Amino acid sequence: MNLSELIHEFILALIEPGILVGSIGTVSFINTANSAFSLGLVFTCISLLYFALNADFIAAAQLLVYVGAINVLIVFAVMITDQSVSSDSEKRGIGYFTALGACSILFLTIVCIFHKINDFYSSSIHQSEYLKLNLFEQNDVQNIGYQLLNKFLVPFELASLLLLVALVGAINPARDEDEGKDIAENKKNRLFLQLHLVISPHFSK
Amino acid sequence: MNDINSFLSRLNSTINFSTILPEIILIVGLITIVITDLVNKGKNAIFLYKIFLVSTLVSMGILFYQLISVIAFEDLYTNNIFNNLFRFFILICSFISVLLSVDYVLCSKISLAEFPLFKISAGLGGMILSCATDLITIYVSLEFLALSSCFLSGYTKRDIRSNEASMKFLLMSGASSSSLLYGFSLLYGFSDGQVQLDNIIDKILFSQYLPTICISAAFILAGTAFKLSLFPFHQWTPDVYEGSPTPVVAFFSVTSKVAALSLFTRLFRLIFPYLSNEWHIVVELLAISSMILGNLIAVTQRSFKRMLAYSSISQIGYVMIGILAADLENGYASMLTYTFIYIFMNLGTFARITLFSLRTGTDNIRDYAGLYMKDPVLTFSLVLCLLSLGGIPPLSGFFGKLYLFWHGWKAGLYISVTVALVTSVISIYYYLKIIKLMLTKTTNPVDTLKTYEKQKSLVSSVISTKLKSSVEMAMILCALASTLSGLFMDPIIKITRNTFF
Repeated sequence: MNLSELIHEFILALIEPGILVGSIGTVSFINTANSAFSLGLVFTCISLLYFALNADFIAAAQLLVYVGAINVLIVFAVMITDQSVSSDSEKRGIGYFTALGACSILFLTIVCIFHKINDFYSSSIHQSEYLKLNLFEQNDVQNIGYQLLNKFLVPFELASLLLLVALVGAINPARDEDEGKDIAENKKNRLFLQLHLVISPHFSK
Repeated sequence: MNDINSFLSRLNSTINFSTILPEIILIVGLITIVITDLVNKGKNAIFLYKIFLVSTLVSMGILFYQLISVIAFEDLYTNNIFNNLFRFFILICSFISVLLSVDYVLCSKISLAEFPLFKISAGLGGMILSCATDLITIYVSLEFLALSSCFLSGYTKRDIRSNEASMKFLLMSGASSSSLLYGFSLLYGFSDGQVQLDNIIDKILFSQYLPTICISAAFILAGTAFKLSLFPFHQWTPDVYEGSPTPVVAFFSVTSKVAALSLFTRLFRLIFPYLSNEWHIVVELLAISSMILGNLIAVTQRSFKRMLAYSSISQIGYVMIGILAADLENGYASMLTYTFIYIFMNLGTFARITLFSLRTGTDNIRDYAGLYMKDPVLTFSLVLCLLSLGGIPPLSGFFGKLYLFWHGWKAGLYISVTVALVTSVISIYYYLKIIKLMLTKTTNPVDTLKTYEKQKSLVSSVISTKLKSSVEMAMILCALASTLSGLFMDPIIKITRNTFF
């Protein structure tokens, strides 16, 4: 391995434990705020991974969208809810072990698949094909824009409509209705009436 | 100017606009609804519904014209008969379900403008899902459909059950679409970066990566079976159906099932033909358990909507037999015919339930007792639709089931067809139980009679007579379709025959 590959491996070895530690922290912290912050660590490390894999647009998008918007929203929601100290009962029922078994089988399967793929793709034929593609000289953002408007036009426009409908749908349950205003006015009128009824006998005396 | 010209010409070469013209009309209708509501400031809401109905009708007309002159066109969209028929079904579903929901939304005094917006967007998502041949388009349109349905189910926001239903639907649909996405990602990786379904089949080396393809198939099955509410993934259906407002349940129970059926058939037919034996066995198992579970639990239900939820689970079990029994000369004819009939039967039943719950405000089956005395028209039409759902001879449900089971028997699915016949008999039991309850007198007729009269006067003072007839129009349409299409079975079958791909 020459120097550049060594540096690459070193950087990856720094980033990947960060992802691992962050994700374990997200699921096992009792305090929800700690859990939300370690989710932020996971997203940031994934973004750094994208940088190390030479996908600059995706890395920037990940930082902006996931860390900057989604994680901030999660932390905001966590901070705003009333935190009662959750008593963690350490009783592990049958569901725990079933899920543990299923997840470990899935994990072993994925590891086996990756080993097989590594053998398949590290043969010299495929490496020369990939070098021919010359990925390092293309302009990433321009390429993405071109594909979005040519090949993926329908999903792109549909996603914009989806955003519109999602905005309307999110505001719809949350907004103040005219009915609420009527009820508030009724309450106000009733309060004034009661006050009048209480005070006026005193004045008439 | 030059750039715009070249852009438009390149655009026209990638997507021929006449193929997606129905969807474009729906989008124009959606934008018109939003802008009209903004300009009118909340008044004159009936006009929005008229816009919706007009745009759906125009879209249906154009689609009909396209059906007759088949325009074959590839790329993101394939326009074979299978896809076009499903688009047509979804348009029919949207049209009829909006007809029967106008009254309900007006009566519940919640804001009216967003309802047609969500219905149009759900119909749009369903239509694009029926045609998509591209993993990304499939996922985006599926999410569009799921999100709009979730907003629709939480529409009556002051009702706690509606909030619960929409929360459950949102969380479970999010989980299932993430499993679907994982299956897609495996397919994307193994086909060397191809997103279109045809290219994936070309490039995947099925022999080498068979275990992983099986895992991918399992995840995709989990994702699509949620929308179809097949057996282990049916848990959301009764709660969501019971909690959502009734016209929304009518819309769900047909549109998302029809769209999910087209997705399921296309994915499993195109991508996993080498695994036919494996996924046939799994789907057969799921279908048998859905039929048994749906029918057995529906017997014990006390709420009409919940019972219809379980009965729709079992109906999807029957349709799965149609998918498994597809062969070269008949295509998916049995599945398409039964889906067509199922749309009308289900929407008809829900139309009558909507009318009944508008008048009495209850959903209990016990309160349907003695309905024959108070409203013979409603009783008679509900009897027709329920008998059609059960599969009694002169009505179209019988012919649909007959064709389905005959196809299944011919294709060798002996166990499934036997189980389906037995569970059909069980379903006849609980439909007849309701009919008997409606046709006989009650023990205390005074209470329910009083409630019925009071609500009827309240309702008729609020809405004009012109609107009231829209539910009745939907009822008549569905009643006619569920009785007469049994007689016109042959032309329907002939159209749906040429759909194998």
